Amino acid sequence: MRICTFRYRRLVIYILPVILFTLCTVSIKAQQDTTLVAIGNVTGVPGELQMTELKSVFRGERQRWKDGTKVVIAMIKSTTPLGKAVSQKIYSMSGDEVRGFWARISFAGKFDPPNVFNTEAEVEVFVSQNPGTIAILNKVITTTDVKTILVSGKKTF
Amino acid sequence: MRNLNFLRSRILSILIIIGTAGSSYGQNTILQNTHIRGFMEVDASYHDNKLSFGFGEQDLFITSQLTDRFSFLGESVFKYTASSPTEFSVSIERAIVKYNYSGNNNLLLGKQHTPINFWNDTYHHGRVFYPTIERPLLFPANFIPIHTTGIAAEGHDLGKIKFGYNVLIGNGIGSSDVANNDTRVSLTTAVYIKPVENLKLGVSYYNDAIAAGSEENGKVIHWNVNQQLFTGSISYFGRKFEILTEGTLAQDKTDTTGTQNNLASYFYAGYKITDKLVPYIRFDNLRYGSGEIYYTKNNTNSFIAGLRYYVDPLLVLKLEYQHLDREIQGKTYAFTFQIAVGF
Repeated sequence: MRICTFRYRRLVIYILPVILFTLCTVSIKAQQDTTLVAIGNVTGVPGELQMTELKSVFRGERQRWKDGTKVVIAMIKSTTPLGKAVSQKIYSMSGDEVRGFWARISFAGKFDPPNVFNTEAEVEVFVSQNPGTIAILNKVITTTDVKTILVSGKKTF
Repeated sequence: MRNLNFLRSRILSILIIIGTAGSSYGQNTILQNTHIRGFMEVDASYHDNKLSFGFGEQDLFITSQLTDRFSFLGESVFKYTASSPTEFSVSIERAIVKYNYSGNNNLLLGKQHTPINFWNDTYHHGRVFYPTIERPLLFPANFIPIHTTGIAAEGHDLGKIKFGYNVLIGNGIGSSDVANNDTRVSLTTAVYIKPVENLKLGVSYYNDAIAAGSEENGKVIHWNVNQQLFTGSISYFGRKFEILTEGTLAQDKTDTTGTQNNLASYFYAGYKITDKLVPYIRFDNLRYGSGEIYYTKNNTNSFIAGLRYYVDPLLVLKLEYQHLDREIQGKTYAFTFQIAVGF
């Protein structure tokens, strides 16, 4: 009985961390593998941006587009799988860290915090209705009000 | 009369509900898109052989997009003030109307935090964002003018090196929030660059003439003082390491003492063990000229070691040990625990 308990403990000690590590790795890899697409309202938002420019916009470093339209950011909640992928790829942060990042910026009065939504459909509607709005989703969208933005020459990243 | 009071309380409740709804669902309101947020901290400390509990500033922060180009930012603080009849006071810490005239360039009019160093221009009154429990010692020593009421031009993240600038003309030291106390204005100029991600390098210059008879921080200044402040800042908040160091050289010139050089500096470093847990240290140093008469001469060394834990980005716990060695008070130490929240 004691041998059995000892073996069980060894199993827990050695196998459990491996399982947890594997799950974490798979989860992070899945977030990194999520294909992302930048979309924008047809007014104001340019048709192409470099990746560095896109990151800069999503960090609140740009107030106006070239035509003078105000930059508005729409995001999906950072707790969703897509939100986690955006946090990783654009901010190199966890979802919580992204919330903290925006709290600091808005409290300093530097930039309005992003408009945050629960679903991709809500994000798409908001982008279509508000000139100058940019967002990141996981599918290419082209309608009369919304366009897909080429990022470093590609539709997905 | 009771009915009238009841009616008043109902109207007040409705206004609060409308205000809350307006702030939460800004896009749907017929008025401006207004947000109300707040900050607060509570502390427990052990020093001088006694355990004390207290709370700090309760900060209400309001932003409103007035038009496409005009916006408003207001910050009011409620805090314990022993000299007040109610033992509390309310202060307007910031009240700014901002006009975005082109790209990342803005004009600001009102009471603002003097953009003299990174800490004052970044964290403001939000203890939840401070890397340590309290501000560096150059703040309570009144080394720099924290607020200036005036007009400013600012730009940020311009070009590839993300250049930024501030030029602020204001009422200056000794003035009130509604009028200048002498014929001179203060001048603050600051520039910074962000050459790589998470790194910011900045310098600033402040010039003011403080008139004899001015009262500042409860102290009457008996001499005309020409003050120049030169400040340098380096900040790096990366994935693992955090470094923030700033130094201010204050040159105070009077007819009787000539130019006195005073130097205040601090160095902060933190290491993220995880996203939520950050141990850190901070060194502070204040050095005054031997003939200094504007500041209260109190050469100081301080060492802080602490631990910061993020329950949430807007709910932060900090535990700190501080050892202070001051010319006037001598050596002291303190353990402090703080819960800082944003809401």
